[in-house]
Amino acid sequence: MKKVLMGNEAVAYSLFINGVNVVVGYPGTPSTEVIETLKNFQDDDFYVEWSTNEKVALEIAAGASLAGARAVATMKQVGLNVAADPLLSLSVVGVEGGLIVFVADDPGPHSSQTEQDTRNFARFCNLPVFDPSSPKEAFELIKPAFEISEKYNLPVLYRMTTRVCHSNQSIEFELKREKRRIKGFEKRPDWVILPALSYKKHVELEKKLQDIKKDLSVYNRVEGKGKIGIITGGVSYFYVKEAIKGFEDLFSILKITVAHPLDDEIVLGFVEDKEVLIFIEELDPVLEEEVKLILFENGKLLPVYGKRNGYVPFAGEFDVDKVRNIFYKILSDEKFLVRNTFVDVLQIPKRQAQLCAGCPHRNSFLIVKYAMKGKDVIFTGDIGCYTLGFAKPISTTDTCLCMGASITMAQGLKIADRSKKVISFIGDSTFFHSGITGLVNSYYNRHNITVCILDNLTTGMTGFQPHPGTGKKIYGEEGRKVSIEDIVKGIGVEKILVIDPYSDFTENVNKVREFLKDEELGVIIFRRECANMGSKESYLKINQNCSNCKGCMQITGCPALKEDENGNIFIDSALCNGCGLCKSFCPYSAIEKVMKDD
Amino acid sequence: MTDIIIAGVGGQGNILLSRVICQLYTNKGFDVKSAENIGMSQRGGSVVSYIRTGENVGPIIPDNMADILIGLEMCEAARNVNKINKDSIVVLNDRFIRFNSLDFKKNQIVKFFELNFPKLRIVSAYDIAVKLDMPKAENIVMLALVCKDGFLPFSKEEILKALEQVLRPKMYEMNKILVENIYEKY
Ligand code: SF4
Ligand code: SF4
Repeated sequence: MKKVLMGNEAVAYSLFINGVNVVVGYPGTPSTEVIETLKNFQDDDFYVEWSTNEKVALEIAAGASLAGARAVATMKQVGLNVAADPLLSLSVVGVEGGLIVFVADDPGPHSSQTEQDTRNFARFCNLPVFDPSSPKEAFELIKPAFEISEKYNLPVLYRMTTRVCHSNQSIEFELKREKRRIKGFEKRPDWVILPALSYKKHVELEKKLQDIKKDLSVYNRVEGKGKIGIITGGVSYFYVKEAIKGFEDLFSILKITVAHPLDDEIVLGFVEDKEVLIFIEELDPVLEEEVKLILFENGKLLPVYGKRNGYVPFAGEFDVDKVRNIFYKILSDEKFLVRNTFVDVLQIPKRQAQLCAGCPHRNSFLIVKYAMKGKDVIFTGDIGCYTLGFAKPISTTDTCLCMGASITMAQGLKIADRSKKVISFIGDSTFFHSGITGLVNSYYNRHNITVCILDNLTTGMTGFQPHPGTGKKIYGEEGRKVSIEDIVKGIGVEKILVIDPYSDFTENVNKVREFLKDEELGVIIFRRECANMGSKESYLKINQNCSNCKGCMQITGCPALKEDENGNIFIDSALCNGCGLCKSFCPYSAIEKVMKDD
Repeated sequence: MTDIIIAGVGGQGNILLSRVICQLYTNKGFDVKSAENIGMSQRGGSVVSYIRTGENVGPIIPDNMADILIGLEMCEAARNVNKINKDSIVVLNDRFIRFNSLDFKKNQIVKFFELNFPKLRIVSAYDIAVKLDMPKAENIVMLALVCKDGFLPFSKEEILKALEQVLRPKMYEMNKILVENIYEKY
């Protein structure tokens, strides 16, 4: 069968075909679709779930692997930081059934806090890392990844980048699952990490890596015979191929698919007759540094162009044009490749992402903002759709660091800046991921902050995954529901307020103002389902009373409020979710509700 | 080899459209590659999809190389003209989604396209979608119009087959009626 698959889907299909038994992860762009795809598959020896965070996921996968199952944990690059603790220990303890840690990096970045390079993590924890260049390769390399993991009893990192994860390609395959027998858990002292054992295993690990190097080198390859050597990997490989089109004779390419551990022999063979070397890789100079070490150790010296001497940028994602410009600069010969640039381009400014029309978070932010009007307040934010609370005109997010940090940073700010009120915003899924421990600390150490939990009953940003608060599991089947209120109470917090952000705005503002009057640890839960989930019963419409003051639009920034060609304001009924927020800000009572069936 | 770029705003169904076009080319026996942005940008931000049918190419279309620009929104189409050239086909949805910090008027952008691209076609996909009571389906309206006018080499039957492969059954039924309607009336 030939099918168009997204990189992440290709991984999912291949995992299933190659007999994976357990797949767990936490959603995060650009990694989410691996599990989203796998949940469409079913088999009696196959299990898939969304876990509460990446550390939890990796530990579950590790457990399954110790019992002999093929297991995978999926996450985005920043999620790997959360899972770093078990991962580093696992590299020493080892695994039994093949264990793949799937990590999606995000050069650019398109939707992440940082541009991290998981290949560097692989060096840090001494594990092999696959770096596929295309969905097709992503599909093909799953099998060897499992096999290497099982042969050497080590976890294997499977690193992809946004342009591989989220690009599509036609792939030919047969949907036939390899059936494996799961041995079951065998008690062994190996599985208990104690300092003495850890030392012994570290020695073993270094030895293993020498053998893995040889085994994995077959996945790296040389193309062409030109005197200018290009060393590249991941999606950059294709940018290079296109950039040298028509001039192939000048170049040769060393395509590195396994960036760590890197085999000396292929590198030394490649540089043999080269006059210069150019490194084209996104993010960190991993190949550049590894290759330079090999060259130095073998007494080879030749001109090298890469990140370290400023020819190749460290930050941002690449494309064909960027790579071509790097070659221009290096060869400083403008006639090298011909391009016809386009004249007279309109400079369109950047379009900011925004909370959706009718997003309940917009109401919640504005409720708190109005309740605190005129007061000196710091608003700490967190990771999710509601990071957009930072955007104008809502402007109610002053910090954003990483998952869960809204609550903990708020405490630090409070300690250092006593005079200010500190209010943190965190989403429901993020609260379960890593907000709970922060709240425990705040209760225990008497940090008097306010925590607003924006509960929209889903994981909005990554495409509406369920989480413990929804009580639904990955297939929509019944799990057990974890109540946010009960957790908050269970910790000991006494001051709790639950609010429906869609209900009367002024009343909500008064309630929140009252609640925030004294300096005491308190939690406000704003609960209303994500605007993309419920069916809408009504929308709002602007009537003839409108003076066109645009107050509603300027205050809420709701994308359903628009201006027509003549500058008159109107509500786009296709977008409006009937949340009623704009109505609260109209001084002329010019906004009215229309029921959907009218 | 055909390179197609689709430019629009988050929420307009850009990615689904790209999916369907990929499926169309695959069904014709091409090796297709495409890229899209997902996540943050889909919340009302700029969304671009690239579709490529060549071998040994990366997912991103180099500057000036796209053969066809499908603009689901005017500003976003204008933002991506660096990817096309004077010979490229431009199909523009007559849709203008304003945002803060924009100081262009719709007719300025239209004029810019008229001036620079001889192979320009402007269609009212959104208006048609609203008229057919499926305001969220301007992407599929666009596809049907583009194919019907011969800018993409696919028949109505081929479109329906690809939609059936990509969409869930319920969505497929609705979109099928939409496509039939467009081939009959527009
Ligand atoms: S009611 Fe007003 S604020 Fe709410 S979605 Fe509709 S236009 Fe936007
Ligand atoms: S997806 Fe849901 S939570 Fe995210 S911005 Fe839209 S309405 Fe808000």
